[in-house]
Parts: sequence; C-alpha cells; structure tokens
Amino acid sequence: MRLPAAARWTIWLASLGLVCGLAWTRLDLKNPVDTDILAMLPAEQDSGALAEATARSREAFVDEVLILVSGGDDPATRAAAEAAGQAAATDGLKTDSTGESLDRLLQVYEQHHYALLDEAAVARLQKGGATALATDVAVSLGSPTGMVDAFGNDPGGHLTRFLSSLPRPYPQFLPDGPFLSALKEGKRWYLLRTELTGGAFATTGSSQAAQAVRDARAAVQRACPGCAFAATGAPLFAEVARHEGQVESEWLTLASTLLIMVLIAWVFRSFAPHVLAGLQLVASVLAATAAVIICFGSIQVLTLVFGTTLLGIAIDYAFLYFAEYWFGGSAPAEVPRAVRPGLYMGLLTGVLAFSFLLLAGFPALTQFAVFSVAGLVEAGLLVALIFPVTLTRFPEVPVHAAVLWPQRFIQAACRAHWRRAVLPIVALLLAVPGWLRLHTSDDVRELQSFPPELLETDAHIREVLAQVPPPGFFLIEGKDLSDALGRETRLFALLHGTVPGAVPLGLSRFLPSPTQQEASLATWQQLFADPAALRSAYVRFGLPAKFADRTAADWRAASHAPLDPGALFAAAPDLKRFVIPAPGGVALLATVTGKADIDTALLNRATAAVPGTTFVVPLARIADTFRRTRLRATWLVIAGYLLISALLLWRYGRREAPRMLYPPLLALGVTLGVLGWLGEPVNIFVVVALILILGLGRDYAVFLREGGAGQRSPALAVTLSALTMLCSFGLLALSRIPVLHVFGLATLVGILASYLSAPLSLAPVRRNRP
Amino acid sequence: MNLRALFLTLLLAAPAAIAADAPPAAFNSNFVQTRTLPGFDAPLTSRGNMRYDKVHGFHWEITAPYHYVFEMNGQTALEELPDGTKRDLDPDQNPWLVAVEHIFISALSGDRTELMAYFDIHIEPLPEGQSVTLKPKPGAIAKAIESIHVTESAPGQPERIEIAETSGGRMDIRFTPAAP
Repeated sequence: MRLPAAARWTIWLASLGLVCGLAWTRLDLKNPVDTDILAMLPAEQDSGALAEATARSREAFVDEVLILVSGGDDPATRAAAEAAGQAAATDGLKTDSTGESLDRLLQVYEQHHYALLDEAAVARLQKGGATALATDVAVSLGSPTGMVDAFGNDPGGHLTRFLSSLPRPYPQFLPDGPFLSALKEGKRWYLLRTELTGGAFATTGSSQAAQAVRDARAAVQRACPGCAFAATGAPLFAEVARHEGQVESEWLTLASTLLIMVLIAWVFRSFAPHVLAGLQLVASVLAATAAVIICFGSIQVLTLVFGTTLLGIAIDYAFLYFAEYWFGGSAPAEVPRAVRPGLYMGLLTGVLAFSFLLLAGFPALTQFAVFSVAGLVEAGLLVALIFPVTLTRFPEVPVHAAVLWPQRFIQAACRAHWRRAVLPIVALLLAVPGWLRLHTSDDVRELQSFPPELLETDAHIREVLAQVPPPGFFLIEGKDLSDALGRETRLFALLHGTVPGAVPLGLSRFLPSPTQQEASLATWQQLFADPAALRSAYVRFGLPAKFADRTAADWRAASHAPLDPGALFAAAPDLKRFVIPAPGGVALLATVTGKADIDTALLNRATAAVPGTTFVVPLARIADTFRRTRLRATWLVIAGYLLISALLLWRYGRREAPRMLYPPLLALGVTLGVLGWLGEPVNIFVVVALILILGLGRDYAVFLREGGAGQRSPALAVTLSALTMLCSFGLLALSRIPVLHVFGLATLVGILASYLSAPLSLAPVRRNRP
Repeated sequence: MNLRALFLTLLLAAPAAIAADAPPAAFNSNFVQTRTLPGFDAPLTSRGNMRYDKVHGFHWEITAPYHYVFEMNGQTALEELPDGTKRDLDPDQNPWLVAVEHIFISALSGDRTELMAYFDIHIEPLPEGQSVTLKPKPGAIAKAIESIHVTESAPGQPERIEIAETSGGRMDIRFTPAAP
C-alpha cells in the first residue's frame, strides 16, 4: 500500500510528538539529567535491614560539603570563615547544628548521669564501695584534669568521663562556635560543615553546592586575601561529573556530526542528504531521550554520552537509502523496494541485539537498551516514511572516485584468493596472545572521571582532618535494641584491642545498653544505701562529711530511670539514623574511621567473633554485582547471537548463513585480542561493545548480501556506515571517562575488523568469471 | 570544649602563655590549692608539687591530704590514684588529651593564639612579671568560668592563680619555688 506524502508526514510527526509529549508529562523537572552513577546499579537482593543500612550509610555523606578556611592571622581567618559560612548559607547550604544538638544532649545526659557508668567504673565502684567513690571525688578535686564544677551533680567526674568519651567527628578539631577549629602547622584552621537541602545528584542540588562554594571562596578572598580556602564533598564531585559528561557529550556530538557532514558532502555532493541525515539524527536522539524519560523520569548522564554514539548507528539506514538513490541505478520510486530487505533485516537484528540488554537486570544497560532501540526504530521509521516522499527526483551527481572505491574494495576482497583464507587466520593467531592477557574489571569508580585537582583537594582536606572515609559499615542485628547495643559494645571493645587506630562510631557510644544502665543504677543504689560508710570514706580523704550527705541527697532527688532511646533521639534526632527496624528484631548501623586506611580483614575478623555482626563494604558488593551482571550479559549476548543466527539460517539457508556469521565472530576475536595486547580491561561496557560489533558485522553482511555482491550501492552504504561509526566511536575512545574510553576503543577496533572482514560473508568470485 | 581540657588549659597554659617574650623551658613549684565551694563554709585545701621540663613533660602531684599523681608527656597521660592504682588515659578514649597537649606546648613556646580563641586577655605589668586576667568569650567556657586571674612573681613564673566559677565556687592556687 502506498501512502500519500501528507499521511506519511502526519504519522511520523504524530508518533514523534506523542512520544515527546508523554516524556514531558513524566519528566522530573528538578533532575532531568541524573549524575548519580550508583542509581544506575542493580538493586541488591538484600535483606530489608541491609538495604536500608546501605542507603543510610550513603545518605550520611552524599549531601555533605566540607569547607576549610586556614590562615596565619587568627582573627582575620575567623572573619573569613564567617564570611564563607554566610555566603554558603545565602546560597542555600544548611550549616551544621551540632552545637545545638550537643547542648540538648548534655542536658539529657545530665538528667540521667547515674545510668551512664561504663563497665570498668561499675566494677571498680562495686569492688571498692564507698572508698572508691571517695577516691574519685578526691581525685576530681585534686587533679588538674578534674571538673571545675565537680560538686555540682557529678561527684567523682563520672559524667565528665562519659562525655569525654563521646565520639567527635574530627578528633583534632574542637567545637568553636559555628565551626570546628584547630591549630596546625602554625595556622588556624576553621572547618565549616554544611549540607545540601536537596539531593546531591540532582542537577539543581549539585549546581547549588558548586555555586555556594564559589561564592564562599570569593567571600574568603575578600575578607582575608592571605587565607587559604578548600572545599570537598559528594555534591561537588557530582557537579564535576555532570559538567564533564555534558561537555564530552556536546563535543562528541559536534565533532561526529561535523565529520559525518564532511563525509556526506564529499560523497553525495548535494544539500539534501545533509538535511535528511540531520533530521534523522535529531529525531533519533529526541525519540531515544524521550523513551528513556518515559521509562525512568530522567536520563542518566552516562546514557546521554553513550547516546551520542547512536548517531553513528542511526545514520546507517540513511546511507543505505542514499547510496541506492544516488548511485544505485534504481529509479527514485524503486529505491524503497530495493533497500527494504536490508533496512528491515538490519533494523530487526539491531533491535533484537539491544533488546537482549533489557534482560541483563542492570539499570544502566536497561537505559542504554531503551535509548538505542527507540533511536533505531525512529531512524528506521523516518527512512521508511519520509525519505521516499522527499527524494523523488532523479539525482544529477555523477559517479566519482569516492563512490567507486568501496565497490572496488568489496569486489577485490570477494575474489577467490589465498589471502581470503590466510589473512583472517593470521589475524586470529595474532589475537591469541592478547586473549591470554585479557583481564576483567568491575570497579564502579571507572564509571566516572574527576579532575586531579579535585581529588588532590579532597585528599588534602582528609589529611588535615586526619580522617580517612570509612571503607564500609557494620550491621549489628539483635532480637531487640538492648541485644543489639550489647553486641555493638562487645564489637567496639574488640576493635579497640585488635585494630590500631580504629575509631568506631555507633549508637552504643551515645546510649549504653539497658543492661549496662541497670548495672550502673544498681551500683549507685548500693553505694548510697549506707550513708555512714560514705561519710566515713569522705572524711578519710580530708573531705567534709557534709559532702557525702550532699552527694546522697542529689542521688535521692535525681531520676533513677535509665536513659530512654526516645529521650536521646528527641535531643539528637540524627542518632535515629543508627537504628534500623528489622524483621524479628532491630539492626544497628555503625562505622569505623581512622587516620589511615583500615584493613578490612581485621574488621571482618572482629565481626566473626561477635554473633549477629557483619562488616559491609559497599564498593566490593557493587563490584560483585557488576561481575554478576557482566557474566549474565555475556550469556545474553551468546543467546542473542544464537537467536539471530537462527533468523539468518531461516532467511539465507544453511550454506550462506554460516558464511554471514563468520565475519562478526572474527571481528569479535580480533577486538578481544587487541584489548588484551593494550592491557585494557573487559568490563560490562566492553560486553555492550561486543554486542554492537556483532550487530554491525551482521548488518554489513546483510546489506552486502541483500544488495548483491559487487554492487555499487550496498558497498558504498557499508563503507559509509563503517566510516561514520569509526568517527563516532573513535572519538569516544578519547573520552576521559575510563569505561567510555574502553567502550569506544573496543568498538573502534571491532568496526574496523567488521568492515575489513565483511566481504568474507559473500561467496568468493573467480577472476575470469563473467 | 570539654571541661576537662578547659581546666587543664586554664591551669597550665595561661601563666606560660602570657610570658611570650621569655617562656620558661622548665619550672618546678610547690603549691597550695584552696577550693571554696558554694554551700560550704570551710574551704578544701590540698598541697603538692607541679613541675615541667621538655624531657619528662608535666608532673602534678598532691602530697596531702592524700597522694595523687598526674603525668602527661607527649600524647600519653597517666594517673596514680590514692589507693595506688595506676590508670593510663588513652588518647582514643580521651581525645581532649591530644588537644590539651597541643595547647600546652603552644603556650610554653609563647604562642597565645590558642588561648585567645577562647579568652579575652588583659595584661597589666607588675614590677616583677605581669598580672593577667582571662575572661571567657561567649561559649561553653563562659558557662562554667567567670574569670581567671594570674599573678607572676617573675616573668613566666606564676605566683598565684585565682579562678572564679559561675556556680559561685572559687579556686586559689599559690605557688612557691621548689628546692632544685
């Protein structure tokens, strides 16, 4: 059925408009381009508690921005730090309210101080009785470290000792008004802890953080030109990732588009291919982006960068049509019929190959698959609907050398010659040592690339703060909070003895277990049960008996209730982050920091000794997920290849189909060999590249087979396709993002090998044959 | 700032920090410490010895009415309780120790910066030495301390330290040079 031009345009525009309109309704306007790489990872099949702990441990740092101001002149440096804080707050960064929380916490601890004796103090007071308490009181009075207000309500400084042992975020930095400050290397350092109110990986959030840091830096320079300024935090890294991704995407798109335009101008010497190719590329990327937004609400920056490569694939169909129209010899009205088998087979195998990625169970690959399938379908639709009604006149471009060269190459490569058999074998033999050198990599950090100066600043700040980010977190499970707190206390005690330099952080350091609190209260009860003994002990240390009476009176007036978690959380809501409801009990989230990297083997050994505790390293778990996904994707590639092989067998028969399947496999072998020789890793994205190589190899075989051996237009279409793909992927190999670089490199080599081996898919032709 | 750290800072760093021109490399004094506590008429008195040198660090010893020793050298500290028990103060469990040690060493080298972060310092010259008054800046210290007054008998040699607490309590420490 031949549709009129108006109907074709209507169908095409309506379909594209519908997809875009639907995407608009689903678009997350606050976060259209997502830079959160971790969101692209597969959901872990974890227990609810582990999944929640993973999310919370991540939330604890993703919104934080640390600002460090330093200088030799203390008042000027402080003024500069204050200016930085004001600038950051003006730009919407929330400053840390630790000081207020601390005041509230101190009040709660003061009310319940009789419940806060630690295990050692309980043992000491139970053993020594009134004499031990009198000793503590005397020491509090006489020690230069004793409390000023020793006789307020803390006889013996037991509460002070508890408060002293509370965790501090950066041990060398002391609370100092709105800052934490330290004197190091002859300079005063002010640390300002701020956090984003929106998500760090939302475009607005990361941009807001970056702007706030720029303004804070300017404010510091104005207030104190001699002061130094440094800032770090996940939002700043996210902003750089977003910016790098966009810049790369823009220049890759621009460069590949320009190269393709030059190629078109050189070959077709007409304006129409530029317009139609441009229209096809824009429509393909638009439809692909819209499809991703419909499915996911926003588009990942990695998908956007990866999508630029679609430019190379989508234009294949246009080239197939252009080559037949301009130089194929068919009348314009006959061109659609001539290219239809190749176009449909190419589209079908391409869509099939990418559809298999949907089964990989990996959100990143799912987005790539949706993007690619939608882009290819749109490209095919445009060629099938619009090209026939726009390219209706006979072309007037004479056949020239650039057109004849591909045909000659294909014809020469199809001649029966020993080289047809030997060269591929030589290539494979050369590839074998490369295969033996291949190694895999599933490191999530290769998904992003950050400027060295940003990494150096981060390392410098961590060095000044004398704190290395924790390698992971502990999950402590118990049948109730008391049980879990007890286990955490045992774990921390074990760490203290076995892991030098480790500073554990968990709820038990703020809230002793109910058992411990009961022991503490019972100890005090026992001490104050015999006032006469207490008086006598005080007097022996030169203390008035009245002091003993006052201490006992304070005990009688004080609350004897243990510190309730609810009261603690009301004073410091952030502490609730440590508690995770779990089926059949409760789980506690805890972590450990140190001045240097901590050996996770030691931490695992400690958890092995305390039942119900595990140490979780998220990066290792992600790498494991990547590995599993890579293996699954590899099997899917094989399954997809077998399915398409069956399709080719059905279409071309048992004699021709194996010959058509041979070149793509050869290209794949050569690609892996080159990667091995170059020491590049095989990761999940290389597997995607292999899918692409197999798909393109098949396309070339199908185009040449359907177009006829030695014919001018399929040879030209395949050559142009290979050249444009080389332009796109060759550029991608220059990417600073490690995974994109290796993806581009693999595809570059694979396409070159696919093109050079494509003639092997055709039957050999003898020279003297007519 | 932790009150323990605060107290040690006040007691030790203040007299030395004011003597920026001639910080003492070592000192050795006996002291009489008198504490007056709100609600109690009779003050509490203790006697002892305080000394410092770069090799052995800081030594604070109460000799009457009971025996107690506090020593600090580098980032380690040790207490000997009246019953003879010795107790190490672990820097990991007592992070204030590290800060105190730093403040102390800074003060002895004539660096007032650390003190000035927490106090307004007023200095009056005396015929021999100086009289120094420290007033806490708004913050945690101001909640516990009203003022600290240090009188020197010679540059870098504290003769008397008086601490007025917000609770109404007072502490008075008088130093006399110990026999070498």
